[in-house]
Amino acid sequence: MSAPVFAELREGDELTPLELRPNLGQVIRYCALNWNFPPFFYDAEAAKKVGMPGTIIPGPLKVGLIYRAVEAWLGDAGFVRQVRAAHRRPDQTNRPITVVGRVARVYEEDGQKRVDLEMGIINEAGEPSVRGFAVVQFR
Amino acid sequence: MPEESLMTDDVRALIGQAHPLMNVQVTRRAYQRALDVYLEHHDYGPPDGADVPGYVIEALDSETEPPSIPALLPQSLLISNEWQFERPLRMGEELEMTHRIVDISERFGGRFGYSIDFRSEVALSEPASGAVVARSVRTMTQYSAADARDGGER
Repeated sequence: MSAPVFAELREGDELTPLELRPNLGQVIRYCALNWNFPPFFYDAEAAKKVGMPGTIIPGPLKVGLIYRAVEAWLGDAGFVRQVRAAHRRPDQTNRPITVVGRVARVYEEDGQKRVDLEMGIINEAGEPSVRGFAVVQFR
Repeated sequence: MPEESLMTDDVRALIGQAHPLMNVQVTRRAYQRALDVYLEHHDYGPPDGADVPGYVIEALDSETEPPSIPALLPQSLLISNEWQFERPLRMGEELEMTHRIVDISERFGGRFGYSIDFRSEVALSEPASGAVVARSVRTMTQYSAADARDGGER
């Protein structure tokens, strides 16, 4: 995939969807990275006790997956200035999710070439589980 | 739902309280551990001084003890989080880190019924200039399951 060219970008351009299936091992590694181990992240019975359908993907892991999709699209054309995620629904481990995105605004600010992206994570039922936003800065 | 607001003066006084500065370093180990989470594999990493992916910030912000947040309501849930970068993090660089509560607000109604949002921030700065390089911001909401309704968005 070739890196986007700032001058050629238009509002509505879509990022290539990133299909993922985050697994329990990934979640446990996230807990270790953060040194924070709420049982509902790795123990299905503990998750059910707090009303979750099973073990769920931590929110900061999901914001990182959005970052990953943006970074994959951007390549070495620039860097990710901001990525934000509003968590709407839990996503279970070992279930498919798709990170989607589209160009929302192309502009120059403070002498820098920037693009706003509307991002999201869609679950296997086609519902948005995360509504996201990102800003990238071109070199 | 409580009969009166839980936003007491003691709770409001938590806003702006910062934990002391501490130094952290963007180490190769932090880089590799972050890649193992987000990419499920890692490489040796770039040379010192080269840019690293933003998700390495997650390997750094657990180096500080987060400010103590009182449990005002029985349940707690992350509702949003955000990373901001003035420039990419760089392999090997040392940064100063602070952790503070930036806002506390209450909501009436909605999916969670009465709820209280705690917004906290980890800021990473250049030691010499004090310029902020990156921030990791998260908002936790506290609520009572008895007042929440199932499904839908907030």
